Amino acid sequence: MIKINKKILTCGALAILLGFTSCEDYLDVKPQDKLNEEQVYNDLYDADAAVVGIYGKLMGLAGKYIVLNELRADLISPTRNSSPDIEELNTHTVSKDNPYANPRDFYEVINNCNDALKNFRVMLENNKIDADEFNERYADIGTLRSWLYLQLGMHYGEVPYVTEPIEKLEDLQNENLYPRLRLEDLIKELINFTEGLPYTDPYNQNSSLVVDVDGYNTAKFFINKEVVLGDLQLWNGNYTEAASHYKNVMETSSNGTDSYYYDTYRIIYNSPNTVDLGVEYQRYREQDARALINSNTDGWGSIFARDQDDRWNQEWIWSLPFDSNFAPENPFINLFSIQSGDYVLKPSQRAIALWNNQNQLNGFPYDARGKIFSYLDVGGNPVVKKYLYNFLSEETQMPVDVFNRDGRWFLYRAAKLHLRFAEAANRDGHHKLADALLNYGIQNAYTVDGVEDVSDIEQTNLPFPYNFDARKGDFPFYRGPWYRNGGIRGRAYVERAEVVGDSLIAIENNIIEEAALELAFEGNRWGDLVRVAIHRNDPSFLADKVYEKLAAEGNPEANSVRARLMSRQNWFLPFKWENQED
Amino acid sequence: MISNYNHKLILVAVLAIVSVISCSDPWDDHAKMVDANLNEKLNIRINNTPETSDFGALLIETGYDSILSSAKTYTVWVPTNEAMAQVDASVLADMEDKQLFVLNHIALTSYSSVTDKDTVSVAMLSDKYLEFKNGNMIAESNVLTADQYAENGLYHIIDKALTPRRNIWEYLQDEAASNAMSKFIMSLDEFDIYPSDSLPKAMAEKSEEIMFADSLTNSYLLNVYNLNNEKNKYTFFLLEDEGYKNQVETLKPYLNKGTTDSTTTYASYFAVRDMAFHKSYSRENLPDALTSRFGVKVPVNKNRILEEVKLSNGILFKMSTVDVPLEKRLLSTVIEGENPSGFSQGDKRINTFYREKASPSGEPFSDIMVQNHEVPKFGIYYTANNLYSTTYRVYWRAVNDIQENTFQQALRIGGEFQADGTVANPIASLPYTDVPPDDYSEVFIGEFTLEEAGNLDLITLLAANTAVNGQNTLTLDYLKFVPVIK
Repeated sequence: MIKINKKILTCGALAILLGFTSCEDYLDVKPQDKLNEEQVYNDLYDADAAVVGIYGKLMGLAGKYIVLNELRADLISPTRNSSPDIEELNTHTVSKDNPYANPRDFYEVINNCNDALKNFRVMLENNKIDADEFNERYADIGTLRSWLYLQLGMHYGEVPYVTEPIEKLEDLQNENLYPRLRLEDLIKELINFTEGLPYTDPYNQNSSLVVDVDGYNTAKFFINKEVVLGDLQLWNGNYTEAASHYKNVMETSSNGTDSYYYDTYRIIYNSPNTVDLGVEYQRYREQDARALINSNTDGWGSIFARDQDDRWNQEWIWSLPFDSNFAPENPFINLFSIQSGDYVLKPSQRAIALWNNQNQLNGFPYDARGKIFSYLDVGGNPVVKKYLYNFLSEETQMPVDVFNRDGRWFLYRAAKLHLRFAEAANRDGHHKLADALLNYGIQNAYTVDGVEDVSDIEQTNLPFPYNFDARKGDFPFYRGPWYRNGGIRGRAYVERAEVVGDSLIAIENNIIEEAALELAFEGNRWGDLVRVAIHRNDPSFLADKVYEKLAAEGNPEANSVRARLMSRQNWFLPFKWENQED
Repeated sequence: MISNYNHKLILVAVLAIVSVISCSDPWDDHAKMVDANLNEKLNIRINNTPETSDFGALLIETGYDSILSSAKTYTVWVPTNEAMAQVDASVLADMEDKQLFVLNHIALTSYSSVTDKDTVSVAMLSDKYLEFKNGNMIAESNVLTADQYAENGLYHIIDKALTPRRNIWEYLQDEAASNAMSKFIMSLDEFDIYPSDSLPKAMAEKSEEIMFADSLTNSYLLNVYNLNNEKNKYTFFLLEDEGYKNQVETLKPYLNKGTTDSTTTYASYFAVRDMAFHKSYSRENLPDALTSRFGVKVPVNKNRILEEVKLSNGILFKMSTVDVPLEKRLLSTVIEGENPSGFSQGDKRINTFYREKASPSGEPFSDIMVQNHEVPKFGIYYTANNLYSTTYRVYWRAVNDIQENTFQQALRIGGEFQADGTVANPIASLPYTDVPPDDYSEVFIGEFTLEEAGNLDLITLLAANTAVNGQNTLTLDYLKFVPVIK
């Protein structure tokens, strides 16, 4: 019996011991490399960290953003190195396991946005941040989410609109749990939400998020809320509202104390012997092709090459830098470089032809924005250059340092803003204004030859948002805020785009073609084609352009692709992906 | 106790079974190498295969069995003993020949007969390239047994030995004693066709094959094609002596160099330089005309083929003759306006425009225009190489598209700089010719005659003799010198 007792005792003691040690504390170890919910969102700096973290995550979408928006449209083609997945996008025959068609990455960032938005609200309730701090951050992340949804909408046609954080992203594929919105309905929801956000300006210059870090100023990292509102309203067909939002950004320097009052976001003409962002030849040597101003600090190409200086800030509205020293890696060198990348994508023959159909004002039979600035020829292979300016040597066009892969994601700039404003104005009945901004600027279009007193001319005499004062006179003296505006084509030194036929359609065609010449490879093309095709209720607007790209390169599927794209439902990618572990 | 004993028995039995099962891990069994072939190196496998033992013996004799026993991966195309028996004795005359013979059967890395490419160009250790077609043929030998494997690679058994072939250059070297054309080409080892040939020749000799594997020691290799290069394929026409001499004689009047010897040398060079072509064409595939590196379209008459010689880097045709008509042989010289060699004064860059324009029909062109320079008789200098000793008809295309008025410019051929910077004793001064606005056509502007063939270092496009801007403009898309057949 004693023996038995001993055994029981031992067992009991062990059990008790186990019971103690297995208590909560023992098993509930906090991970040392991650934060849990109670540890974040405690003060303003946690909120800032969340914002910065979301933008860091967003940058992981850069490569996909360019691939989807350009390859599915008409300005980019696959190369001989491209994978079948890339070919599928090119011919609009995407299978459901195509990794580029997987919307999950977008929803990961959206889920992060939703989580941050929810917690910002909690922080405000608990007085961990004040109302101003809340408004800035909430509006920023809220707008970014709307921008992401607009991207999803234009690529997938119908997507679930989720505004609260969810546990399992895979559930999004279940239409019973998350019903899907059509693109048009989605945009209406996005307008409702985004117009209701409490703050529309960029972060205040004194904000804790606007700092210089690792050689970059962060002010232009963050999305510009007004341009997103403008884009949403433009997609929705509310042209006056769209123009109003765009105009607010165009007038950025009118409010406040910008020392470049006449220059910021106004697309100014080229002046001799100054640093400009236009296509410009050395003065009096316009007939000399070798006198083209073409360096990383001056000329049209410098838009993509220059450091974040004053001129950079006068053009760029939203841009995120990639730095070799930090993740995520710059995806563009791999996509585009033939010398040390994979050279997956190249300019399409159609894009090249568009540029070569232009004439410069000196009679040169090509648009310098094409073969000089947007792409280059490496041993007979066209290579997208816009993303490689800092990677290639100015002199030799060879990589300077293959390990230095700094670069930028180009998201929004003044030229795009002006083209979008012109599109809205044109649709709103202001054809002359739209044509002026597209061609040679306000003053050129509204002046009267030989009149010295400009008091009553050189301005639109229209109410906001179509009010532009470009007066430049000396007797009496005028310098209207828009007197330096030189127009998109004026800045690019090309002959004016003529209006043939119906003003609305002709000018809109000109604007969309100009967007190709000016903004090629910057990830706007698919959206432009879908938007205009919807506004015109004419699928051929999109289908024909994709057809021309494929036909120009002898793709045997050109005709069948055109036929497919004539039905709107075939524009969009399948909203499906293979489930994977979280 | 019995039941207890039984229990123990069962326990022991179970333990025994467990130990037996656990002794043999099925995964280990799966991964274990059971194929004995994979334990043997290539040289052993080849030696042990009865039908390839002769080649195996040769491997040992040459000492190359050692490389096939190394850790690198090789592919060997092994001739059968019957195939070895048919190899000409001269091919295996001495040790050097034997080594080359063996190396011509071995390639680094593995080339399986299963591949998605129909033809693979294989670099053999002999530095020759052989074509492995569809996995069942290499060069002209059929694969009898494919994909035999060993620890360090593959071997295929073939029905015919891969006797190493000479390349075109080696063939020409061997023919030099009996063939005048080959002899002339080999003489270009010593003789420099162009003065600039001497430097690379000297470099090649000095480097002794260390810096440049295919050292270019001959003016033909330097200026035409490197026929010593195994990596490319060429077609070459080797003429019989009579046909060759006829060609040289027809060219002599156009390549007058002053002395008979020089004239013969250059006429010979111009005759032979158009006899080599890029890519190899077998007799069946020969087109009606082949274009030489210099743009001469050489008509091909298959009836003149005496012999087709297959060589390691292409095909050489022995021909009785190849008649190239002078109209095809003598090439026009085109000088692009935007590639000047200099200017009469160097301070007018600001007035010099390198333009990129298009004609009204949309055809793009590049040209040069010098405008508003205020210098009478301002000159743009050009050079031209390899001109013939004959009369040339001269044309230009000069586009005056930005002025309203007609201006004049002239062309001066040759001349010597004087101490005061002027040019004296030109070969010809063509008259001032109108350049009317918006004329995009090619205009005939005159003729000149060269007594000696060679280069022109000074061709001058001269502005009008006036300081008046607009009158002294110069513009030039291109000059074209068309040789006249005597």
